[in-house]
Amino acid sequence: MPENTPTRRGFLGLLALTPVVAACATGGGAPAPSVPAAAGPTSAANPLGVAAKDPLDVVIFKGGFGDDWAKFAESLYTKRHPEAKIKHAGIQGVGQAMQPRMVAGDPPDVIDNSGAGALDVASLVADKQLLSLEKLLDAPSADDPAVKVRDTLVPGIVEAGSFGGVPYVLNYAYTVWGLWYSSSLFAKHGWTYPATWAEMLTLGDEIKKAGLAPWTYQGKYPEYMNDPLLTMVAKAGGMEQVAAIDNLEPGAWRADSVKAVVEAFAELAGRGHIMKGSEALSHTEAQTAWCQGKAVFIPCGSWLEAEQAKVTPAGFDMVVGPTPRLSDADKLPGTAIQAAGSEPFIIPAQGKNTAGGLEFLRLMLAKESAANFATTASAMPVRKDALEGLQLSSGLKSVGELVAAAGKDALSYRFPGWYAPLAKAVHDSTGELLNGRVSAARWTERVQKAADQVAADASITKYKR
Amino acid sequence: MRHRRLPFIAGFLVLPLTLYAVLVLSPYAQAFYLALTDWRGVSARAEFVGADNFARLLDDPQVLGALKNNAVMLLVVPIATVVLALFLAAALSLGRRRGAGVYRVVYFFPQLLSVAVVGVLFQFVYTPNSGLLNGVLNLLGIEGRSWLGDPSLALWAVMAVVVWSAVGFYVVLFCAAMESIPREILEAAAIDGASALTRLIRVVLPLVWENVQVAFIYLGMAALDGFAIVQIMTVGPGGPDNATEVLGLTLYRNAFTYGKFGYASALGVALFFLTLALAVLVLRGSRRDRVEMA
Amino acid sequence: MTHSHRVRRPRPWTSLLHVALVGWGVIVTLPLVWAVMSSFKADRDILTSPWSLPDRLHGENWVRAWTEASIGRYFLNSAVVVGSAVVLTMLFGAMVAYVLARYRFPGSRLIYYLFIAGMAFPLFLALVPLFFVVRSLGLLGTPLGLILVYTAYALPFTVFFLTSFFRTLPTSVAEAAFLDGCSHSGVFFRVMLPMAKPGLISVGIFNFLGLWNQYLLPLALNPEESEFVLAQGLAVLAVRQGYASDWSGLFAGLTISMLPVLAAYVVFQRRITSGLTAGAVR
Repeated sequence: MPENTPTRRGFLGLLALTPVVAACATGGGAPAPSVPAAAGPTSAANPLGVAAKDPLDVVIFKGGFGDDWAKFAESLYTKRHPEAKIKHAGIQGVGQAMQPRMVAGDPPDVIDNSGAGALDVASLVADKQLLSLEKLLDAPSADDPAVKVRDTLVPGIVEAGSFGGVPYVLNYAYTVWGLWYSSSLFAKHGWTYPATWAEMLTLGDEIKKAGLAPWTYQGKYPEYMNDPLLTMVAKAGGMEQVAAIDNLEPGAWRADSVKAVVEAFAELAGRGHIMKGSEALSHTEAQTAWCQGKAVFIPCGSWLEAEQAKVTPAGFDMVVGPTPRLSDADKLPGTAIQAAGSEPFIIPAQGKNTAGGLEFLRLMLAKESAANFATTASAMPVRKDALEGLQLSSGLKSVGELVAAAGKDALSYRFPGWYAPLAKAVHDSTGELLNGRVSAARWTERVQKAADQVAADASITKYKR
Repeated sequence: MRHRRLPFIAGFLVLPLTLYAVLVLSPYAQAFYLALTDWRGVSARAEFVGADNFARLLDDPQVLGALKNNAVMLLVVPIATVVLALFLAAALSLGRRRGAGVYRVVYFFPQLLSVAVVGVLFQFVYTPNSGLLNGVLNLLGIEGRSWLGDPSLALWAVMAVVVWSAVGFYVVLFCAAMESIPREILEAAAIDGASALTRLIRVVLPLVWENVQVAFIYLGMAALDGFAIVQIMTVGPGGPDNATEVLGLTLYRNAFTYGKFGYASALGVALFFLTLALAVLVLRGSRRDRVEMA
Repeated sequence: MTHSHRVRRPRPWTSLLHVALVGWGVIVTLPLVWAVMSSFKADRDILTSPWSLPDRLHGENWVRAWTEASIGRYFLNSAVVVGSAVVLTMLFGAMVAYVLARYRFPGSRLIYYLFIAGMAFPLFLALVPLFFVVRSLGLLGTPLGLILVYTAYALPFTVFFLTSFFRTLPTSVAEAAFLDGCSHSGVFFRVMLPMAKPGLISVGIFNFLGLWNQYLLPLALNPEESEFVLAQGLAVLAVRQGYASDWSGLFAGLTISMLPVLAAYVVFQRRITSGLTAGAVR
């Protein structure tokens, strides 16, 4: 990041002497974001036209997955482009660190925009700061020139990273949400995983009799509980309902399917199925209580197994099950899952080596890199065949089975990424619902009101799915 | 000496003032300007929107809720801290207690910790099932509560932490002031038969009043901020259900989560004037006579 | 009851006071002792039995924090940056405060309030503009840049504190020095500064503590991993804790970063106390 060459520093210094706000005011102080032409000629071995000597600046969020997997992909890049110098940064607080560089028009070539305090992607898109990934998706994959990159990816992942039909974000990890439990604990008590919510409540009563809490959740972050809640809404109301919510249609949150599901979740509080004190636990605390067998179910994404590796007792054998159906009248099958990408990679439009950035992503999606990610990070990458032929832990194996069973029925909501204030309203309301401080009817009203406010706010860019 | 006065003053001020103007004042001045734009913070693009952002502030329920919580903190935190610190300082310095130095070292400990550490520690103190606080209460036969999970308790739990970490500094400050009070004054009061409490309020307090005012300024600023501790410790953060929302957090969320940097800047400017008004108010009350030399 | 020269306190009152003093001491110490203790525990035990003693001393936590998170190197970086910044802050702060406290000139109130204003603004709003200022000076990612920024942001508190401090110092010594033909700056450096030593030390310690724990500024201005300061290293540990439950590593890192500060405080505490005394008393 620091400017090493004196000439460049001097030049930028001169630029920056005119205060940044002057540039802001006119909007003309910084170069208009444009897509730079590919730096070099393309060939079969170099389909994206990477210039041999252009250095590559990679910024990776170093969180739960570490950053060794990214370094692995960088090593593949070096093999193909030995003259290119790679600058790797594994950091936290990606947003605060990258924001000034974005504003200055001097961003890195690839950003893994993840973790707390990441850059707001909707704002980046609105300000035209991102490069379309269309070229990458249509390029031949690293392993088989006959197959396009697009076709190696799990279904829905491209759409999930698209804004107004243009793919700007490529999520590298594939996250599946569901309800986690210990298969050994289930075997010990002879319980079977519930297929409907009625069965879930019956099982919950039974679990309580056995002296355990049926549920706990990451109370400090109530959004964890929204995942099963919203998945159940989708199953009950179908994809039309999901679209209605995401598109901010009037009264979308007052639909019968939403009301019924919210009432169903209020039952958890009503029957005392949630472990006492859950509402104040951090994610690590709640998950550890669950690992100790104090509660039977916990909602979480597929990163749970890796996150808990250090505190999971031997023989616990955690597995994930799909969110139960509300009833047999549901519009989606019981195997449907909520799944979405995480580790969102973006390529800044103003980067100096955008071709190299695309190439980096292409190599990161190579079979070799994907397998490396699966084994070192214990998580599923977005490449379809990534888990094939690998030795897997109980949790990751069950994730793979869940994905396979769901097939096309993998859904995800877009509104949390598009409209953060609405997401906050849903999180807050669900937290209150689960503690019995807000009724199901009030929940609906609160969330609908927040949705209406977002819809009426002209300063927020709207999207359609 | 008069003739060399001004060059000397200028010479002493020029370097520090330049540094301060370039690195502190100019960025803030730019933030003032950004408050009048719709800047998203991720590119150089920003449209001038005039006072729009400020007009919106007053309709934002989150801002209003945060303002209420900050007001509560502004009332409770300084008073609780000062009362507790005065009490402890009086007990330490007026009673000629042996080992007072040790207490003063120990009381200062929390001051050495960064807010992040304090937040992590108190997460473990407040956590409902295995937490230290509920553990102690159970020993006393009192049923524990979900301190950070209950909207009616959460803000108080946060304020307790702020007070916890601040008291030590003011104990040391007040101790120093109290020890400088001539003993004859205290003894005269004691002979008059005044009770310990009366002596503290009638005799000691007026003599350390200036320090108390300084304490109110610092603590008032801390209460208007409160961002870090709330962000690390509370449900949500800022919850449950906005029960611990503070202006700093609203500002942070609007800037970095919602991408509304212009709006956040407007909130920052409002917060700035609020803090400044408070500081000036208290300072005006405690203006000292200036000493002019040469 | 007979009157005596010294009024005796009734015993229950004294012991009640004593209980209060000890009680606060416990309330203040317990969490710290616990953090140090946790740094020697296994991760599982921290969460499952947070208040028990460690089953054995898990020194590997410290090793992990020291090596993997490069706490050692960041420690050194922090020491250099914070140390220099504190010295510079003290010098500049004392110069400004002295002039403001002891001289009347046009604009002095304005300057004073400009510094006070610096304490009232939320720091993260200045971050992005500040980044560009530092960069245009060619100081981005350099220790010097960080030192100057730290100094600038520590000035308001320092000026505020030292201004009232200089006002409290007796004028007689300085007047005598003037009569002896000392110049204005000579009086400052040879007479006032030594007299202000206690106040300088206490404000120096507070600045040191504040800057040592500063996180936002280096996050934006110090992106180079080899130049990271301690707070950034701890953030690495904190993030890892959130994702991999490495609580013990976090606590070990916290303890490592806390101990030297604690040690320095215990060593200097007598001076701090006397500094505050001098500052607090007219």
